[in-house]
Amino acid sequence: MTSTFYPKPDPPPQSDSVAVRSRRLCKHYGDIVALEDLSLEVPFGAFVGLLGPNGSGKTTSMHCLTTLVEPTDGSAWVAGHAIRSAGVAIRRDIGVVFQNPALDPSLTVQETLAFAAAIRGLPRRISHERAEAMLAMFQLEGKRDLRVGTLSGGMRRALDIARSVIHRPRILFLDEPTLGLDVPNRRRIWDHIARLRREEGATVLFTTHYLEEAEGCDTVHFLAGGRIVGSGSPRELIARMGAQMLEIEADDIEATAHALRLELGPGFRQGDRALFRLTSSRGEVASMLRSLPPDLRSVRRRRPTLDDVFVWMTHPELRGELL
Amino acid sequence: MMLPLWAVIRRDLVRLLRQRGRLAAALARPMIWFFVIGSGVGVLVEPAAPEAYQAYLVPGMVGMTLLFGATLVALSVAYDKEFGVMRMLVTAPLPQYWIVVAKTSSAVVSATLQASLVLLVLGVLGFIDGSFSPLLLLAGLLGTALACAGLGMLVAVWTGTLENFALVMNFVIFPTFFLSGALYPVANLPPVLRLVATINPFTYGVDLLKHALLRGDALIAASDFSPLIDLGVLVGFAAIATLVASLRFSHEARAGLSGFLRSGR
Repeated sequence: MTSTFYPKPDPPPQSDSVAVRSRRLCKHYGDIVALEDLSLEVPFGAFVGLLGPNGSGKTTSMHCLTTLVEPTDGSAWVAGHAIRSAGVAIRRDIGVVFQNPALDPSLTVQETLAFAAAIRGLPRRISHERAEAMLAMFQLEGKRDLRVGTLSGGMRRALDIARSVIHRPRILFLDEPTLGLDVPNRRRIWDHIARLRREEGATVLFTTHYLEEAEGCDTVHFLAGGRIVGSGSPRELIARMGAQMLEIEADDIEATAHALRLELGPGFRQGDRALFRLTSSRGEVASMLRSLPPDLRSVRRRRPTLDDVFVWMTHPELRGELL
Repeated sequence: MMLPLWAVIRRDLVRLLRQRGRLAAALARPMIWFFVIGSGVGVLVEPAAPEAYQAYLVPGMVGMTLLFGATLVALSVAYDKEFGVMRMLVTAPLPQYWIVVAKTSSAVVSATLQASLVLLVLGVLGFIDGSFSPLLLLAGLLGTALACAGLGMLVAVWTGTLENFALVMNFVIFPTFFLSGALYPVANLPPVLRLVATINPFTYGVDLLKHALLRGDALIAASDFSPLIDLGVLVGFAAIATLVASLRFSHEARAGLSGFLRSGR
């Protein structure tokens, strides 16, 4: 059926293998700059994370790219369509999961999936098939007749993702999909997402502030103050940090950190803890550790994590250290 | 486009039937007015024939059911925003104004259904003149439901939180009901109130229902306008209200000013 409500989307150019492309996307709310400059490219099939603290522009980026909010300036294309002019066509190709669930507590699990399919115009037969597949994939088969309001947080999240992919979107946007969940449920949600990628081949762009969750993805973009401050594959970024990190706790951390800074270069101090990158050779480090004052409470050498990368990329004094 | 529209309507009907209290209240409200106020005031107005006032009240009670039924569905937009259905709707491949149009249609369907039930009960109890006009009644039901849905949508897009609900009830729905011809002929009102009633689109809905349900002298005494004017005002108001509500909703959503994308349960 063709009508003004369902304009036929222009097919994306054959050569365009880019799922999401944005150029200097920015969004102001009055005087508040929520997003300063988002420029990124996400190839089809990729698994990409937007990472950053609260207020760094992650959610605003998601809202603009999913055509729900009009950007103040800049441009972006999703599945080959411009976000400003082809919102309906883009929304046909994408699935969106918000920080807060998009569910009706008064409907049952099955009714929710049927509703999500119907508002996307899926014919009943296909809707039913997809709903069954999603119930199986998200382990909700036994819950189909339960009201959404009675589900646990983890199951509600699973259903929220299931309803977002009922129409088999090519690109899935997930804004903090594991927010507020306990560790086992967070793991389960990422398992579901991995299965979706494997079995349905969806491109996934997600945000999170649990950085360890992003270590398995292809590319991460670090957002701070509304702009991307660093990007790369998590493995490469972690490798670039150096072989090891030195984490020190001391009573007089100020003095200790100061002494270490002379030896190890800039570090990061938080509370009574200081963090340094170890780029010197093992021997040097060992002798330097021996010369430290005796008031140390703990010294720990460990492998760097994405959290360390994030600190080094976003901390004003450390920024540029990695480049 | 029909499939998503039907989905929205069906969901509101399912919710209406699931919340038994809401359906019961929708039926009880006009009945209480009809029997309690109807008898009490009826004796006051015409001690010899109190049932005359009850007969006068029938169109007003049907109108009341439409008013509450339609505005409550329209105002459930606030619930939809808070609990997430609105988040689901805005990600569907539909333009934003479609959401307002769908919700308005849904309000019309829910309200008409409830009013039909009230009509059925009143009919069974023998309060409806057998010579009523089915065509005018249909026009009266749909026209009034449309105008009330439009009014509800206007209120919903401007004060879209559940906390404002009591406020809306007291300052929009009740005045709309009292300042119409539902309880007394508009012509008998003092000038200022008469002016307000003339501006009130619900007045024209009740008037059209009077044309449909009352006969003879009762109709002449009760109605204030011609059916064509009634229908014109109802449809015109509904169109303008839906248009304004759509524009406001789209604008808010696209500017990122509607809080439901970020907050909620």
